[in-house]
Order: sequence, then C-alpha cells, then structure tokens
Amino acid sequence: MFDRIFGEYLYKKGKLSQEQLGSIFEDENGVFVRLGVLAVSERFMTEEEASEINHMQSGSDRRFGDIAIEKGYLTPTQLDSLLKRQGNSFFHFLQAVINRGYYTLEQLDTFLGEYQKEMGFSNSEMDALVSGDVMRVVNVFLPHQDRLYGRLCGIAIRTFLRLIDPRAYIGRAYITNKFETDRFACQKSYGTHSIVVGFAGKSDALLAMARAFGGEEFENVDLDALDAVAEFANCVDGLFATEIYSEGVDVDMTPPQLYDHPVALKGQRFCIVPITSRDRQIEFIMALDTILKVEGIL
Amino acid sequence: MTRVLIIDDSRTSRRMLRDIVESLGYTVAGEASNGRDGVAKYEELSPDLVTMDVTMPVMDGITALQEIIERDPKAKIVMVTSSGQHHKIVDCIKSGASDYVIKPYDPAETGRVLKAVAER
Repeated sequence: MFDRIFGEYLYKKGKLSQEQLGSIFEDENGVFVRLGVLAVSERFMTEEEASEINHMQSGSDRRFGDIAIEKGYLTPTQLDSLLKRQGNSFFHFLQAVINRGYYTLEQLDTFLGEYQKEMGFSNSEMDALVSGDVMRVVNVFLPHQDRLYGRLCGIAIRTFLRLIDPRAYIGRAYITNKFETDRFACQKSYGTHSIVVGFAGKSDALLAMARAFGGEEFENVDLDALDAVAEFANCVDGLFATEIYSEGVDVDMTPPQLYDHPVALKGQRFCIVPITSRDRQIEFIMALDTILKVEGIL
Repeated sequence: MTRVLIIDDSRTSRRMLRDIVESLGYTVAGEASNGRDGVAKYEELSPDLVTMDVTMPVMDGITALQEIIERDPKAKIVMVTSSGQHHKIVDCIKSGASDYVIKPYDPAETGRVLKAVAER
C-alpha cells in the first residue's frame, strides 16, 4: 500500500506527473528489485558501497549478497530480511521509478526523508510503512494506538484490498465528534463492546465501491447500491466479531442502516479513516464503545 | 430440480446467493427479505432447501429457523452469517439448521455446502 501513498505524495509535490505515475504502477508487477536498491533504501549500505559491489559483480558471476557479506557491508540477518522484501510492492515502485530513469535511488531517498519530516513519522513508523504489512501500516495512520481500533481498521483495510480494490490506500485517520456526509451505510453491534462500522462519502466514490463489491453496474447511489456498501460493512463487522470472540468478547449484530441523503454523524469520539480508491475518497467510520447518532440534514 | 428459498434482508447478498444457487443447476423458488416473510414463503412454496440470514429486521433468522423447523422438522436450512462466533453457530445447529456458511461468500465453498445439504 505504501507504493500508492508515496506515489501520490510525489505527484502532489510535482515530482511525478499523473502519466509518469500511471506508467510506474503499470511496470511494478514485472519489475525485478535489485538487492542493492533494497540495501540502500533500508540504510544497511551506502550508495557507494552498493555501486562498488555492482562493479565487482560485472566481472564475475558472484551474487550481490555474497559479496556484501564478504566485505562486511551486510550481515547474514540483514541479507535474509532484504531477500524477504524483494516481493514488497514499495520496492517494486522504487525500482520501476529508477528503471524509467525518472529519479536515482539517492534522489528517491531524499524525497522519502522529506516525506518522513513532513508527516512527522519516526524511523520505526517509516519501517512499518515500507514493511508491506497492512496491519502495521494502518497503525501508523491511526491517531492513537488503541488496540481494538487498530485491529478493526486492519481487518477493514485488508478486506477492502481483497474484495474492493487492491490498489486502495489510506490517509491519516482522525478522531472527531461530528462529520457530515452525502451518503452513509453502516452496521451496529452490541454486547461486550458497542461497535459501529460504516462507510461514507460522495456518490461517485460509494458508487464505485458498491459496483466492485456487489458486482453490479449500479447507476446511482440509491438504496440498492448502499445495500452493497452495507453488506461489505457487515462482512468487516463479522470478521472483527469472529476475531475478538476467541478472547471472550461477544457481540450481536443488528441489520444494516442505509442513508441515501446527506446526514450528520454525531458522537463523543469516533474515528474516520480516509480511503483513496480509484482516485476517489471514501471515509471508513469506526465507533467503539461510544454512541453514534445519525441525523438527516435538511 | 432442487428449488431454493433465499431469506436475507440484503439485496446484494440475495443476488450473490442466487448466482451460486443457479451455478449448481438449482432454481430459486423465491426470496424473502425478513424472517416473517420467509416463514410465509416457506409454507407457500415448500422449497427443497433454504438459505437463512441470521441478522434480519422484523424477525431474525434464528427465530424464523425455529418456526420453520416446528412446522417441518425435515426442512433443510443453511444459515448464513458474517460472524464466526462459535456459540451462535452451535445455537443454529441445535435449533435444527443443517449447516452454515460465513460471509463474505466463497462461491466454491458455499456451493459445496448447499450441494451437500441438498443431497442429504
């Protein structure tokens, strides 16, 4: 997911055009990530050291990792972690940018540092972002490290990537007590915890989501299309209920609620996670152990 | 040909189930969007197999399951739920459900369960 997030950042900063970004994403799947690119971006080696090994490789058939260990630039443990990351989409993204000749690894590393500074992320948070682990990425974007919010959000985003859009990505989530939206579909559960899981957004964003999950060409975000969105929320809620059930947490789900008109969500504290899917923004709404009221806007 | 009654408040879920049912070569005898209508449709249509959502308005799936089993102890009913909470599934089976499937649907697995129950 971080390939999409960082790509969007580079686009917004004017470093890449929309066309360049599109071509990079197209290239990603077929890219072979060089170990040197990984080692430098992980700061295990300097660019000079990687170049030196690349140069040494040109005259022999020895592997990059073997030479790096021999020269003391990498430990066997570091090499092992790099090999595991060769399938990570973020590194595919970096390699595709380099292959296209848009930027060097050093320049990308600078941009990554600027991104980190701008977002105020720690080094461990950056490690989580580039890890490719959705649960770790989600926790970086949540406003606090509440265990239940993190797990619910992780399940929702993983399921969204699996069933709606594998290229979707999230932005920084926030806590609020009021939110207005054009359309809303949600499901509430009660028991050991009260849980509200919902999706909000403008018509075109929810329409794309409804079409993807429902497998139907809905023309408008009417109650039928919102039913598909709510059914997805139901699946997320159910997966979460299943996971926490093993810890003695029991909840009863209620029928989904659909709002095909503008509404205001009001509560003490609830969490909003922006999801970008197909260039449109959807808000994933989570409310745990708090009352969330939905009021129509005239 | 096996005739199936689909009881689910979600239109999307009903359509997904209809696709799975038809892919097995079965026919959809009818649909209902809550437990009360589902019980009435069961009496009217006498289907060979029922899929029953657990969470529905007006009358929930477990109550509807119990009402149908009371009238027809041999009814073949597959419960549909998004939650894998074990004790709730056990409650359904104890109330007479033949089997269950968990959403989101895996068409192959859901089809396998429906076929196994229909052929009992």
